[in-house]
Amino acid sequence: MSTIELQNLTKAFGDLIAVNNVSLKVHENEVLCLLGPSGCGKTTTLRMVAGLEVATSGDIFIANKNVNNLDTRDRNLAMAFQFYALYPSLTVAENLANPLHAENLSDDEVKRKIFEVADILQLRDIVNRKPHQLAEGEKQRVAVGRAIIRDPECFLFDEPLSRLDVQLREQMRGQIKEVLSDLKKATVIVTHDQLEALTMATKIAVMRDGLIEQVSSPHDIFAKPNNTFVAGFIGTPQMNILDCNINEINSSIIKLNVLNQEVEIDFKNPLSVNKNDNYFIGIRPRSFDLVENTAPDNFSGKIDLIENMGSEILVHIKINEFTFRSVQSRSYKLNIGDTINLKPKQGQVHLFNSDGKVIRNE
Amino acid sequence: MKKKAIGQSGWLWTALASVVAFIYFFPVLFIILTAFRSRSDTLATPPKWIFSPTFENFYHIFFRSMANSTEYVATGFHVYFFNSIYISGMSVLLALLIGTLAAYGFSRHPLRGNDTYLFIILTTRMLPPIIVIVPIFLIFRITGLAGTYTGIILMYTAFNLPFSIWMMKSFFDELNTEIEDASRMDGASERSVFFGVCIPQVKAGLAATSVFALILTWNEFLFSLLLTNKLTRTMPPAMARTIGGEINVDYGLLAAMICLFIIPIFLITYLLQNQLLRGVTFGTIKK
Repeated sequence: MSTIELQNLTKAFGDLIAVNNVSLKVHENEVLCLLGPSGCGKTTTLRMVAGLEVATSGDIFIANKNVNNLDTRDRNLAMAFQFYALYPSLTVAENLANPLHAENLSDDEVKRKIFEVADILQLRDIVNRKPHQLAEGEKQRVAVGRAIIRDPECFLFDEPLSRLDVQLREQMRGQIKEVLSDLKKATVIVTHDQLEALTMATKIAVMRDGLIEQVSSPHDIFAKPNNTFVAGFIGTPQMNILDCNINEINSSIIKLNVLNQEVEIDFKNPLSVNKNDNYFIGIRPRSFDLVENTAPDNFSGKIDLIENMGSEILVHIKINEFTFRSVQSRSYKLNIGDTINLKPKQGQVHLFNSDGKVIRNE
Repeated sequence: MKKKAIGQSGWLWTALASVVAFIYFFPVLFIILTAFRSRSDTLATPPKWIFSPTFENFYHIFFRSMANSTEYVATGFHVYFFNSIYISGMSVLLALLIGTLAAYGFSRHPLRGNDTYLFIILTTRMLPPIIVIVPIFLIFRITGLAGTYTGIILMYTAFNLPFSIWMMKSFFDELNTEIEDASRMDGASERSVFFGVCIPQVKAGLAATSVFALILTWNEFLFSLLLTNKLTRTMPPAMARTIGGEINVDYGLLAAMICLFIIPIFLITYLLQNQLLRGVTFGTIKK
């Protein structure tokens, strides 16, 4: 069974705790993305799984076997690196063949495997070139090829697409996803790019300062963030997170004071909140409907700035010295200075307590 | 920066560069010419530029009359020549071997207070060698190393180590450690990571370090003067001894010796020049 399990994994570099008590499980045929800002400990976590970094405490299980004391080469893993890590003096074919050396295969067998991988990743034409003669995208494919040529227990990818341009990234995302779904192994991908995580992963773990903030499916991470960090980190444009107090609670309908404006929001289910306490309200820029008239459940404010996003526009709305943002269709023909009314879509408003934890009732 | 093709910089710059190059080369040229002049031509003022070349100075390196006798005897100079090659070669090899291993350790497995150790290593080169010569001389006498090949080779190895460690460390620091990690993932042992992955990537660095160390050792005078004897003496003190004769300094003879003296270094530097250029410019251009 191809699985990876981390139990209370911690890594300290002197006083700095890079990874703090992380527990995770990746099942067979599951792609886990470790997502987080730079320096959050995601790469360190991956390197500990690979055995390239020694954990300060905690346990790592690969295929249900404790590998704490095993060397990298005995863990039976394959890894693709951020900077591809191709051997500069070897050709593409030799680079691909390198992981097979330990397996003592016959020359024909090695050749067969090289061409098999070269076919999957469209490297057939460049097998005799050296890394410095390759384009970024080709190098990246060779790096992936080198990872998948063997039949390892699990796969690890460290920021596999970060060096590619946007177009190539999109293309490779699909290709890697396809390859991974054929392999049916436990895979861990480290990335700081949420789009990469949302599209490639079956499960996302959001990390901050060495801690796991939330582990959920890509959809749940986006639709049901556990706290203000995850809410703000996932989704572009960023979620509006605004201070608010509660004026009145009427079962599931709560009257909030947001930006010095009273807004009535229906949370579908009653929430355990207290009147007059401080909370945060989170609404994604895409979770507003433009409405004609002012109503108690509307935000109403003046357009301060309009950013072009192609088919859509990002509208900055000013209410009593505060601004928030909303994405609207270009067809509305909005202008700076217009006063507009925005109604939050039902079920897409998140309420967080003063510590940033979500308040939800499902 | 745009790279211009050779010869595109214009004749003015080329001419200027030639003049500067000639000024640098002039002393060497003068020595080479002197080596082929006869004794009377050497001492002529103003210097004679047109003269009939002679090999007698080169012959005198190996056979000449000693003191007041007129009989030509072998000077044994070939021994000193061999000593120089053997002693510098061995000590550079040793320093490179130990230095590379140490540099790899400092670079990849830093100790607590890594930089302090590196600094301490460098401090050994901060004082002029003459300050430590008395204790070293005594140590060599007590241990019986004085006058032996082992002694002077060890001395030069110690002399070259700080330099080799620092230089090799900077080359290892420049490498992309991902490639090493990748080969660990591919099943390489630590030994094959070092020999199979790191060493091939720092070939240029090895060449540059060995040439610099070789030049330092080859020209070293003080230790060799005091720590070698008639059998293990290297070229620099041997040449110096020909100056202090009862007769005047034989400039032609000295120039001929210098000509022979620079040939090995010249050859090695020439052979390694491609590697050397890459070595000394390493790290100045980001990958």
